[in-house]
Amino acid sequence: MKSKSKFLLLAAILILSVALVACSAETAQQVQEAAQEAAPTIQAAVEQVAPTVQAAVEEVAPTLEAAVEAVAPTAEAVATEAAAAVDAATGDFVPTSVAAENCDYGGKILSIEAVDELTVQFNLCKPDPAFLAKVAFTPFGIQPSEWIDANGGTGELLERPIGTGPYMIDSWVRGDSIIFKRFDGYWGEPAAAETAVLRWSAEGAARLLELQAGTVDMITNVSPDDIPAVEADPNLQLLTNVNPNIFYVGFNNTFAPFDNPDVRRAIAMGIDKQRIVDNFYPPGSEAAEYFTPCSIPSGCEGDPWYTFDPTAAKELLASAGFPDGFETTIYYRNVFRGYLPEPSLVAVELQTQLQENLGITANVEEMETGAFIDEATSGRLNGIHLLGWGADYPHVTNFLDFHFNANNPQFGAAHPEIYTPLEQAGQIASATEAAPLYAEANNAIRDLVPMIPIAHGASADAALASVAGAYVPPFGATQFYRLDPGKDTLIFMQNAEPISLFCADETDGESLRPCQQVVETLLDYKQDSGDTEPELATECVGNEDATVWTCTLRAGVLFHDGSKFDANDVIASWAAGIDASNPNHVGNTGSFDYFSYLWDGFMNAPSN
Amino acid sequence: MANVVELPAERTLQEESPSLWRITFRRLMRQRSALFGLSILSVLVIIAAFAPMIAPYDPTEVLIGKEDVKKRSAPCIHMLGCPEEQPQHLMGTDGNVRDVFSRIVFGARISLQIGMIVVFIAATSGIVLGSIAGYAGGWIDNLIMRLMDIVLAFPFFLLAIALVFVLGPSLNNAMLAIAVISMPTYARVVRSTVLSIREMDYVEASRALGATDRDILFKRILPNAMPPLIVLATLGIATAILDTAALSFLGLGAQEPMAEWGTMLGRERNQIFSAPHLVLIPGIMISITVLAFNLLGDGLRDALDPRLVHNK
Repeated sequence: MKSKSKFLLLAAILILSVALVACSAETAQQVQEAAQEAAPTIQAAVEQVAPTVQAAVEEVAPTLEAAVEAVAPTAEAVATEAAAAVDAATGDFVPTSVAAENCDYGGKILSIEAVDELTVQFNLCKPDPAFLAKVAFTPFGIQPSEWIDANGGTGELLERPIGTGPYMIDSWVRGDSIIFKRFDGYWGEPAAAETAVLRWSAEGAARLLELQAGTVDMITNVSPDDIPAVEADPNLQLLTNVNPNIFYVGFNNTFAPFDNPDVRRAIAMGIDKQRIVDNFYPPGSEAAEYFTPCSIPSGCEGDPWYTFDPTAAKELLASAGFPDGFETTIYYRNVFRGYLPEPSLVAVELQTQLQENLGITANVEEMETGAFIDEATSGRLNGIHLLGWGADYPHVTNFLDFHFNANNPQFGAAHPEIYTPLEQAGQIASATEAAPLYAEANNAIRDLVPMIPIAHGASADAALASVAGAYVPPFGATQFYRLDPGKDTLIFMQNAEPISLFCADETDGESLRPCQQVVETLLDYKQDSGDTEPELATECVGNEDATVWTCTLRAGVLFHDGSKFDANDVIASWAAGIDASNPNHVGNTGSFDYFSYLWDGFMNAPSN
Repeated sequence: MANVVELPAERTLQEESPSLWRITFRRLMRQRSALFGLSILSVLVIIAAFAPMIAPYDPTEVLIGKEDVKKRSAPCIHMLGCPEEQPQHLMGTDGNVRDVFSRIVFGARISLQIGMIVVFIAATSGIVLGSIAGYAGGWIDNLIMRLMDIVLAFPFFLLAIALVFVLGPSLNNAMLAIAVISMPTYARVVRSTVLSIREMDYVEASRALGATDRDILFKRILPNAMPPLIVLATLGIATAILDTAALSFLGLGAQEPMAEWGTMLGRERNQIFSAPHLVLIPGIMISITVLAFNLLGDGLRDALDPRLVHNK
């Protein structure tokens, strides 16, 4: 009796679950069909309306611009006068500065000085053509000097940054969400939604499900297979992300057999990049011919990559002493990135291609993301690693110099053929003047193959159709204040929880996004390009040889704690990151990666 | 009722073990759930044994450029109206454009092997340790059993994950980890059975007749400790398959391109809405296999337990 009833129960459950699955599959298909039917109509409607809207915008724009221009000087003058009046009343501004002893430490910055309350001067050791683009980057956000001092550069600073941005942090519920409140004293256009909530989920399917259910207003990184469904859904809008990126297959030339350049060249010729892009990348992606995407100025100088030729590759491998291939390992992390939307599939595809085209037997090994990045970038992986790079700022140095500088151990021993022209080019402000040097570097990369560039991936975010102003900028994160969900609360969902909110010491995009809502930088990237526009500085002007930059700060800006923004806050924020001897140089891990990497090292670092 | 009468009669006449197994088998055949489990298993074993003949493709063969088929395409069955010009894929293709049906078929082979090997390692080591502990007693017993207690003190699966993480992710290491972790259960059961059987009269008699410790342990005691072990091992196979699949799902077990169900499920878990067959089919296969072993294990337990006979 007992087992009989058990069996019956099991059978019933089995039948029920099968029925359930069948039903849901059927409805899902119906919904999809309906959506597909509707899609062309909607698209047609949009296409009809679009020109009209654009014309209207174009008509209004000049008028608006003129009006703004007319008002702006007056407003600015009033603000400056008011600030000056306050100054006169209190008269307590004591300019501060942060400086290295001299330029011998190898870094780019000699000193940063507060000239007066609203002027900051950067004195560089060597010219930096990308200075403006770098300054606009979120890790260089400005917080009140008192707040940084009070926390000693760590502590509450990691949880609750105070900035000048349109939103301020209300609370961070660990493991769940970060809640932002509109900052009513914001100097610019106020945020549309009173409250903004940032949530996260690692699974693409889960994010899309939340969006479809309407429980979130915008999500990052739609899975490539879901893109058609999002496009077909009239309730959703697909937002293409055009951040320039590169996916590459890296080697380390200190491990055999990759110490032989012919082995690396053979693999470079024996991989069919187009097949990878065609099968595992969403539409809009392209096979990479250079490491740097061509949308970056001077990115694509020099000769394009080898053409796919398995026969020549096999011959080269045989002449290098491996007629029957060899055994190696493909290391990767299973994390969705715009440059690599399907890591595990691409790893297996590469495994297949190496076997079929070159006779190389590769094992596939998935690693935990933190361990993978650490092992790969410190050059400890003995096989092939799959990694990529998304641009932080629109300059070729962000791609080539970061990866192929003399000190990067990721690809093993650095090649002087590559880094010497890069070092020379990095000091030339004019793009056309630097182009031949970048051609030289790219040709050296092609010849020495420290890695194989595979693809420039396209990716997309998505939002509810009802969210007005939804966009994805090519650099930096979507600004929540520009999104109007049509209600009091905006809910945004990204891939992962931020690590900390003291972004001077963070590199992870999931941490930089919330920071960017709260903390502002001197300049900002434009909404649709990598050019910069004024933010906390109304302008930054360089001298002739681009070694001295003077930034005029915006007057009348308030921090979230009510304190007034001035030049000393800029000094304090920069000093915490760039000056290793500063008491606030603590942060979350203390590595302050972007300060050391973008400005070639810390000032006053203790010598070993 | 007839059996109950027969049992003592046979026992007095003949050596007991063959008839015990025959009786067990007869009882087992009378339980429908166990039969159901057994028939599913037979099918799985046949599939596993004849995998190369059943599967239309090599399980690791990537079909890009060989056939006009897209990645993650839905099942195409000619008999059910899929156009003849399209290549037939009974269960569709996966993310790397490989035939899912072939992978499922070869996966049966791997899963059954996993279950058997894990249980073999766990049971053998468990039996050896458990019987030594039970028979020797004293500080040896204490040492062995406290070691087993230490293993049992950790959450089962977390310890497995930790072990694989240290050893490095691979199917062999995953199986080893699961085996090490299930070993204490076998050791405990064997020890307790040995402890009780050790005191029985027939063992005393053997000892009086001058049998060596080894003979007493392996010829007199262990055969009588077998029934609970068989039940434990059958249920253990189910757990082993499930746990190895779970480790593979997490990327710690079988590695690509091996066609292991847990790996197949884990790699495509994001496709639950866009390509549900890639997630559901391996999932259903794991469930069915585990269910079959569980049903069989339950049936065996009932069949081997003399106390339950009266209730039937």
